[in-house]
Amino acid sequence: MSNTETIFEVRDLNVTFQMNRGQSRVVRDADIDVARNETLGIIGESGSGKSMLASSFLNAVVEPGVTTGEVTFYPEDGNPVSVLDLSDSELNRFRWEAVAMVFQGAMSSFNPVTKIRTHFRETLQDHNRDIPAGMDRARDLLESVYLDPERILDSYAHELSGGMKQRALIALSLVLEPDVLVLDEPTAALDLLMQRSIVTLLRELQAEYDLTLVFITHDLPLLTKLADRIAVMYAFNIVEIGTTDDLLYNASHPYTRALLDTTPDLNVPVDEMDIIEGSKPDPVDQIPGCSYHPRCPLADDHCRSEEPAMMTVRNTQESACFYYNQAADAVPISAAPSHSPTTDTATDGGDR
Amino acid sequence: MSGNYFVKRVGQAVLTFFATVTLTFVLYQMMPGGPAEALRNVILQQQMGSGNTIDPARIEQLVAQYTNLESDAPIYVQYYQYMSSVFLEQDLGESLYENTAVTTLLADRIPWSMLISVYAMVIGYTGSIVLGAVMAFKEKSRFDSVSSVVVIGLNSTPYYVAGILFIFFFSIRNEFFPTGGRVGLGVEAGFNVAFMQSIAHHAALPILSMSVLGLGAALTMRGNSVRVLGEDYLRVAELRGLRNSRIATQYVGRNAVLPMYTQFMIGIAGVLSSSVIVEQIFSYPGVGMLVYEAIQVRNYPVLMGSLIVFTLVTVVAILIADLTYGFIDPRISAGGDNE
Repeated sequence: MSNTETIFEVRDLNVTFQMNRGQSRVVRDADIDVARNETLGIIGESGSGKSMLASSFLNAVVEPGVTTGEVTFYPEDGNPVSVLDLSDSELNRFRWEAVAMVFQGAMSSFNPVTKIRTHFRETLQDHNRDIPAGMDRARDLLESVYLDPERILDSYAHELSGGMKQRALIALSLVLEPDVLVLDEPTAALDLLMQRSIVTLLRELQAEYDLTLVFITHDLPLLTKLADRIAVMYAFNIVEIGTTDDLLYNASHPYTRALLDTTPDLNVPVDEMDIIEGSKPDPVDQIPGCSYHPRCPLADDHCRSEEPAMMTVRNTQESACFYYNQAADAVPISAAPSHSPTTDTATDGGDR
Repeated sequence: MSGNYFVKRVGQAVLTFFATVTLTFVLYQMMPGGPAEALRNVILQQQMGSGNTIDPARIEQLVAQYTNLESDAPIYVQYYQYMSSVFLEQDLGESLYENTAVTTLLADRIPWSMLISVYAMVIGYTGSIVLGAVMAFKEKSRFDSVSSVVVIGLNSTPYYVAGILFIFFFSIRNEFFPTGGRVGLGVEAGFNVAFMQSIAHHAALPILSMSVLGLGAALTMRGNSVRVLGEDYLRVAELRGLRNSRIATQYVGRNAVLPMYTQFMIGIAGVLSSSVIVEQIFSYPGVGMLVYEAIQVRNYPVLMGSLIVFTLVTVVAILIADLTYGFIDPRISAGGDNE
């Protein structure tokens, strides 16, 4: 990643919530860089903090969450922007103009009492854009997500199907020509075919509009089809990051390996599916040492007492494990991940 | 499709109105000492007082004139006579005591009642919406909890209690407002400032007592707003960097007020009937007071007439609510389909 330009730099990011039983830290000292025009996938189980990490790119962690650390945005031309220090009005301009976000509630992302057209128009208006030119762009965008612009613009959200709403929202997210699009589980409520078509669509849009995509999901097979790099989150922090190939063939954190091993495969009966033993840690009472040690076969006293920093595995890959070079032997991956050509063929064959 | 719905809905309204009038007619007739009987007694009493005799045929004639009914005809004939005069001639009969047509009496009184009730509703609902919205934005603050308690308290207080307290504090202890009536004595009626002032001065307390207790809708507004504040589309609107004023009005305001629209229209229907007690307390000669007095002396034509008017207002208000809801909430526009 040394020779590519960085668009987002996150350092020491912490997101905390005050709760009755103490402070809940849902993102812990996270560091991550996003390169311009790449697709970065962030994967993790439910409650691992991935949505919170994504929200902090727009300083949009919901109240009463507190975000601390540094989130720096590097525009193509101009000075770096420290996102967490923006005033309210600056933040309003930054959002959607520099970074847009499509999040998992796409089904209800539109105001139910106004037409889709109004959503485009008010977005352009509140960002002081030229409305006729902006609406032309909106029509182009709707066409490029395979929707009939006039019909969609004249519709209310309840008149559209889930997939149409999701695509209309993606078009809406691009109307101000942002540099970065953050997608928080954009395919969660869609069927498999629609998921695939959204992924294809995102690839096309990325090429057409020079986008940087940050794609958050818990669906590993989907991510492998889209992402250039993948960051794996476990217990509120990033435990491994690398190119998609690095993680698929040389995963060096025991959690990543276990995650790959548990990827569902249609050829395996449900009761024979692998699971990761144990349960995920609590965001309030955090354990000392490596957060994964209670579930890790490699764990020793070192892991229980000291938290591992990110170790460089290779040029493009880092892993937060003291024993990253032993992980492959300790956690073997029994079934090939379903992205591999053989499994894909087998799955498809089963369908026929 | 929408034209079809319109016809269907208007048809339903007419049917409802017709059925209510029929039911009322039957109930009044079946009451011991129904309208005709009551009138006959009134005439006989007057006659005994004057010492003259009057032949029964003359009494029947008088009864027919006042009530639009031939009292000894079978009930279905009476029903036919009454309905045809109500619907075809817009004739509601004559008051038993004043020699005035019921329609005239009502036409005189209704504007006064409308004045206080419409103002009370508008003030009450505006106050509720603003208060409810502020409570929702400051959810869980001290302001929110104190206002909730106060509003629940007000909402559970019958408005006549507030009326009596207002009269006590603002009319008797401090003579800010008159205790009753609708205009001051000796004020020249007409389109002049003194007359308008006098009207406002007299209407202030009834309006205030009705609107303060109408603040109960603030809790509905608060609940609606809190729900909308948690909606995904609100978060997306914030992420889209929309102006706060737009989010407050177009997103939160509009979606929170919507469900209250029907409530408001049904409230209009209740306005005239609730005026019965308020007007009694403030001795405000509106239609409510007319009804109250009519009940006391069994002035059946007036009772029937005002009931028909109340029904009409109710049915029309709900009809308007139904027909216009599609315009303000697009999700309802397909209304007639799933009936």
